[in-house]
Amino acid sequence: MKNNKNNAGGTVAVRKAPLKARIYKYRGFYLMFLPVFVFALMFHYLPMAGVRYAFTEYKGITDPVFVGLDNFKKMFGMPNFWTAFKNTLELSVIRLLMSTLAAVIISLFLNEIISIKFKKLAQTIIYLPHFMSWVVTASVFALILSPTNEGLVNTFLINVGILNAGEEIYFLGSNQWWRFAFYIISLWKETGWGTVIFMATLSGISPDLYEAASIDGAGRWQKMRYITMPALNNTIITVLILNLAKVLNLFESVFVLQNDATMEVSNVLQTYVYYQTFNSGAIPNYGYSTAVGLFRSLVGCVLVLFCNWLSKKVREGRGIV
Amino acid sequence: MKATRKSKKKFPVFNLVNGLIFIIVCLIILIPIWKVLVDSFDLRTAYGMKLWPEEFGLAGYLSVFTNKTLYQPLIISFVTTIGGTLMGLLLSTMGAYVLIQWEMPGRNFFANFLLFTMIFSGGMIPTYLVMRGLHLTNNLWGVVLLPAINVYNLVLMRNFFEGIPASLFESATLDGCTPMQTFYKIVLPLSKAALASIGLMFAVSYWNDYTNYKLYITNSDLYNFQMKLRSMIMGSDLPQATGGATENTVKNAAIIVCILPFMILYPFLQDYFVKGVNIGAVKE
Repeated sequence: MKNNKNNAGGTVAVRKAPLKARIYKYRGFYLMFLPVFVFALMFHYLPMAGVRYAFTEYKGITDPVFVGLDNFKKMFGMPNFWTAFKNTLELSVIRLLMSTLAAVIISLFLNEIISIKFKKLAQTIIYLPHFMSWVVTASVFALILSPTNEGLVNTFLINVGILNAGEEIYFLGSNQWWRFAFYIISLWKETGWGTVIFMATLSGISPDLYEAASIDGAGRWQKMRYITMPALNNTIITVLILNLAKVLNLFESVFVLQNDATMEVSNVLQTYVYYQTFNSGAIPNYGYSTAVGLFRSLVGCVLVLFCNWLSKKVREGRGIV
Repeated sequence: MKATRKSKKKFPVFNLVNGLIFIIVCLIILIPIWKVLVDSFDLRTAYGMKLWPEEFGLAGYLSVFTNKTLYQPLIISFVTTIGGTLMGLLLSTMGAYVLIQWEMPGRNFFANFLLFTMIFSGGMIPTYLVMRGLHLTNNLWGVVLLPAINVYNLVLMRNFFEGIPASLFESATLDGCTPMQTFYKIVLPLSKAALASIGLMFAVSYWNDYTNYKLYITNSDLYNFQMKLRSMIMGSDLPQATGGATENTVKNAAIIVCILPFMILYPFLQDYFVKGVNIGAVKE
């Protein structure tokens, strides 16, 4: 809308002053934009041009050789690729749903705390892990979940009699437990920060609404059900759409928590590309890993556009890009 | 009458339970951090379930600050964080300022030029090949410059700038200000909150950066603290322990040092952090 209006304004201005004069008037601004333009060109558009390697065999030492769609054929025939694709979707989507649900529940209860000081303190504490890097988070949990006698969790489980000594669980090193640990660690790190946006919505609800409901005899649960929850619906949809667009970006959180023993359940597209290129033990074929990356980018692009369309539909015309 | 009695009876129980729930939630968040903090001061090797140091000592921290292999990554982290944040803020504010010049020829092209990078990306390997081609691998400039162009933060900045009344720009132009003068005399002073919010977002991502170092830095002399910590935890690079500290003590101390700067700053700057999120998602 805004753009259309300004385009219209622009056409009027064309009649007033010739394009050259207008460009001259804004000459300082072009100079200011130059660094941004160069950076975006270098770090975003040059790599985009690099997707042409997806159609080549490129071993790094020799020049790329055009091979058509061979890399894609190879990719679609690789069971590891499909495992990675499936894992990416599963880990991302389940984590997104779990953390959004948890953040909504925590926000609802946080909103009911009467003491402002206690509320502020609780918020400060639950936001804390968001500012720790994934490396730090992984380090903390690697020490705590360690299967040796130093690990806090295993020692606790043995002391309360759930496990026998010698039966320690290697949470981050077994296919059976890895995903569970991944979801829990993600919840620990990001749920608190996820409440920020919901708390902002809740603080925007007019107190008059609650007062009117009280006069009508509504109890705490009824107010939550009929005032607070509906107010949150829009925000929940926004959060889900914004994050759905990013589900294929999954990388660092998985990368720092996985190890060779759990590849089957933890390998995602980005880590697959990484290992194929930098850790395969052979001379890397940049062409093949570019092809996998291009597939990811294209699916991601479709997802972003779909989410943008969805967002415009449900959020009164506001897109996400 | 009935209603008041009911509420008097019901509310304290709910509040008590609610308070208890949050005490438990906070403990779940804090215990892992507390455990690391305790172990970083404990000079004994076997840790188990203790939540208080058995043999208190500062040797873990001493090791971090006296061994060059440990304090050098820390210095690199500080320098790249400060440099990168300034760089990122410079690009975001200049780009955002141009994007609010609605009448400027080519403005829409520039906006779309930037927004397209949010929809499509070349991916990990083409980016790596470009970085290598530009001699930005094994070069700290690479990990500083690459994240400095952050379109998401630039758009956030533009949203902040849009709130500045247009009349201020007009009067500045009438007073004979050049665009650059308007920029640093009017726009920047009015956007202190935005600079703080977005600057903090840059600072956190530079300080916590691991992926870019993992991809573009292989020379361990150029590791930042995250990389160093990671290689210590993975056991590929045993920490040098001095003054009676065990390796485990040093690992725990390194984790604490890694989170300390933002743990100290964060309670004071919490509002700025929160503001950034809300401008981004709610208003947009």
